[in-house]
Amino acid sequence: MDLALKDIRRHLGKFIATIVGVAMLLAIVLVMNGIYQGNIADGVWLINNTATDLWVVERGRGGPFNESSRMPLDSYKSVAATPGVAKASPLVIYGAQRDIGGKSQQFTVIGYDVFGGLGGPGGLVRGRAIEAPHYELVADRKLGLALGDKVPFGTHDYSVVGITQGAVDSGGSPLIYLSLPDAQEVQFQQDNRALVAARAASLKRLERAGYSQEQASRLLPLLSSTGDTVNAVLVKLAPGADGAQVAQHIGDWLYFNVYTTDEERSLMLEGKLSRMSAVLGLFRVLLILVSIVIIALIIYVLTIEKIKSIATLKLIGASNWVIVRLIMEQSMALTLASFAVAYGLRELIAPGFPRTLAFLAQETAVTFAVMLVGGVVASLMAIWHALRTPPQLALGG
Amino acid sequence: MSKTFGSGDLAVQALKPCSFSVQQGELAALLGPSGSGKSTLLLAISLILEPTTGRIVVGGQEVYNNGWTGVDDRAFRRRNIGFIFQQHNLIPFLTAIENVALVMQLNGISRREATRRAKDLLGYLEIAHRAGSLPANLSGGEQQRVAIGRALANEPPLILADEPTAALDTERGVKVMALLGKIARERRSAVITVTHDHRMIEGFDTVYHLDDGRLARMAQTALS
Repeated sequence: MDLALKDIRRHLGKFIATIVGVAMLLAIVLVMNGIYQGNIADGVWLINNTATDLWVVERGRGGPFNESSRMPLDSYKSVAATPGVAKASPLVIYGAQRDIGGKSQQFTVIGYDVFGGLGGPGGLVRGRAIEAPHYELVADRKLGLALGDKVPFGTHDYSVVGITQGAVDSGGSPLIYLSLPDAQEVQFQQDNRALVAARAASLKRLERAGYSQEQASRLLPLLSSTGDTVNAVLVKLAPGADGAQVAQHIGDWLYFNVYTTDEERSLMLEGKLSRMSAVLGLFRVLLILVSIVIIALIIYVLTIEKIKSIATLKLIGASNWVIVRLIMEQSMALTLASFAVAYGLRELIAPGFPRTLAFLAQETAVTFAVMLVGGVVASLMAIWHALRTPPQLALGG
Repeated sequence: MSKTFGSGDLAVQALKPCSFSVQQGELAALLGPSGSGKSTLLLAISLILEPTTGRIVVGGQEVYNNGWTGVDDRAFRRRNIGFIFQQHNLIPFLTAIENVALVMQLNGISRREATRRAKDLLGYLEIAHRAGSLPANLSGGEQQRVAIGRALANEPPLILADEPTAALDTERGVKVMALLGKIARERRSAVITVTHDHRMIEGFDTVYHLDDGRLARMAQTALS
């Protein structure tokens, strides 16, 4: 006779209420698992989907993702001339927030050499890559754009020629691909009035320094900041080339930092993502502990409520195993039902979640196993109390 | 046997040295006021409290001999002693028939067989029509009948009834006592009933009286 199920039947309301509560906590844990893995997936998406062997960045920097990096545009030519390098392409990458599709959206701009260079759009699902030197863009589907849409950046309109899926930066923001010159222009573009004011201020400074108006006008273009900087140079190795040697050469002779794709990935995981991983990990552990405590308390209360029945069972000859089984089965039923409902909730929440959720079966299985063990532990307090209950409690009024 | 709690200056002799026996088919009453030692004697007979001196023999088997363990206590109770409680103590989440079948299943009888025997027992006790009811839906008298059925389930040689009529009115109480007598005669069980109500002991074969831990035999009717 399954005493546990029969008792659950009698306390169905209490059980269901507990299952709903615990399930919501566990659903948060499961979604957090997805957020954690989603963060990792987002964090390394660009690294994984940029077809390059080496990342060359500013000396002493951990860029271009974990730290800013600025290099002269023509540095890619020096890199391309390095023995063992088949191709070197400049890359611009920066965050922006503009009105797109009628609402202000945050995104990351990738500027690359559209004529055979590295760093072009990955995950293209519709349309094509950029083929013109200007005023074409490829956008991720998250931005809500369609092929042929016109997107204004500054004084120009850019045509959407390609749509990607899943193209995000390390923070989960969608990517927009532009040609390198367009990316630089959009990045350093200034309001016309601001440009005029800056020009006038620079002329004044030159005149105060003793230059004539004519001399100042001739010097001005040389002083103006240009957009001729890039954030990284992407390198494709020649067949048979030793990547470590090439990296060493670039570092020693060109005075840049060089990372392989694996090293960039490690930088991302151990740097930018590590704190979020720790925070998410802490919250997951706390939520699981809270869930186990709730189950333990409910099982304890249910056991206390039937302590006289337990004493009666002992008096009429029930073994300890019968009593242990009664309590542990209820704890397991609560745990399993809560997890099942949590799993269902996760499936409901996932499609509409604003961030990337990535679920690993192994991680879900580990969470399940932890809860299973937790369910056993949760019943221990109640079992201890029940086993200590003297049978004579059943006697008397 | 006797039972003493504590030791030295703090020792309390709850049960003074006494002897009594109850035969198969005999209906015996144990009377006494509160604090007289009735519970101690009942707990000793139930194998919950080990006597300080003396021995207990149930169904020809001496208990608390060498090598006796806690596990043996429960197995022995399961097979040899049926309990009827003052508050019935039916398992609230089991139906009447499940309450009776439970003790048989604890004894290793299959669920099907246990249910069949439970149904027969409830019929014997004239309560088969309430077999599927939970205790909360049974009257006090009905619950006590189910409790009696549970006590009889494993056909024990000894039935212990602890104040079985305390929660019932006089009319129902008399009926329950009559039923106990019927059980003792027809099922050949020894029935020991603890009670403080003198009105309920009419028809009992033997009556013992406990006062301040001293047991005395008050009256005896020849077994028929």
